[in-house]
Amino acid sequence: MKTHWTIAYKESAQMLRSQRGLLWVLAFSGLLSAFSLLLVSNTELSLLDNAQVVYMMSGTVLAAGALLAAILGSDAYAGEKERGTLVPLLCAPISVTALLTGKALGMLTAWGVMFAEATPYLWAVGASGQNLGAALLYLALFGTPVVLGFGYLAMAVSARTGSVLASLLSTITLLMLAASPFLIGPGLRGTAIGRALDAVNPFAGALNTFDSVIIDSEPFSAQFARLLLVVVWLGLCLLAARRSAARPNFQ
Amino acid sequence: MKKWKDILLAMVAMVLIAAVSAAAEAPLILDLRPDNNNPSAPVMGDHLRFWSTIMNTGADPIEGLVAWISLVEIDPGNEQPVDLEDWSAHKAVTGATLEPGQSLRTDWPMRLIKGGDYRVVVSVTDRGSHTVFTSPTIQFSVRQKPVLQAGRVLPVAAGVPLLIIGLMVFNKTRQRRKKVQL
Repeated sequence: MKTHWTIAYKESAQMLRSQRGLLWVLAFSGLLSAFSLLLVSNTELSLLDNAQVVYMMSGTVLAAGALLAAILGSDAYAGEKERGTLVPLLCAPISVTALLTGKALGMLTAWGVMFAEATPYLWAVGASGQNLGAALLYLALFGTPVVLGFGYLAMAVSARTGSVLASLLSTITLLMLAASPFLIGPGLRGTAIGRALDAVNPFAGALNTFDSVIIDSEPFSAQFARLLLVVVWLGLCLLAARRSAARPNFQ
Repeated sequence: MKKWKDILLAMVAMVLIAAVSAAAEAPLILDLRPDNNNPSAPVMGDHLRFWSTIMNTGADPIEGLVAWISLVEIDPGNEQPVDLEDWSAHKAVTGATLEPGQSLRTDWPMRLIKGGDYRVVVSVTDRGSHTVFTSPTIQFSVRQKPVLQAGRVLPVAAGVPLLIIGLMVFNKTRQRRKKVQL
């Protein structure tokens, strides 16, 4: 088995077999359950239609996925260092690329698990409405690069600082800033600064795509610029992770 | 005393006549009609379309014309203007110029977000005049539709966490058995 697959298998097993990983899966399902029960019991719900609910849930899944990627990415190098396993790992005949790829594949598996877990919830709230299939497709298409990008960024900070705490703090702060369009109203986002932030924010790009596809039923051609934005984000974060992973801080 | 009453009445009459003649001199005709394909008994989630026609009946061009659509909920006890944020992406036409005799036909699509009784109206003003002209109103009812079906949400919301708890218990038991075997 190739080295990166071995690392990916080890990382995925931590998520799927360990009680710690399953606890996260349970917490995520608890979040989605609470969210959907809140929507069912909301008497003002008539203001929202299914598409709006699916859009909100897709945004929540994306935010939770990015948060998990930030946590796993922060642990990737600094966690190994703090557990005293980084030096042996770097001394082993594993290339920088294989280590990075293995860790990224583990993260991708975790995102896959979250996506699979979110699917029945999206079906439950959106099956009687419009564009449920498109919601799932675009959540995979736009969510994966955004989530992986945050994971790579966390890995870059983790390898550079050698501290899980520093990496978590900086990545989660950035994630909160990126996810701010999900919290603030469209009025604030309509300002010149709001529009400028939207234009460079991959999280906002993915959210705007969900809005455009799920609520407004717009075609793929209208999403091309945003797809480019999230792909560029992924590419830049991958480059940053590669650079930092080549010279990790294990002092 | 009667003389003063007569003078007062005459003044009121003059004001009314002036107002009526001003209205008669309105430089435009504004009409609003529902689209022929609109559903006869719309339900939440349906789309409606309205057509407005603004015609310049005056001798001067109307410049800087602004037309906008307004929606008012008229359910008893819940009478209020509706924020069109979720209802329509097309809320106004701005900056148009209408030459004398020219008309502007605009469609106003709308997605029905909430059940209830509503009135829709289009208003028009321009840069020069200090008047707002309004179209005839159109009234329609939107039937309520349950958006989320609790029967589908509840089993998922309860079932998935229970499934994961079951998986955790199974995992823990298997690990204990392995330890005992060792």
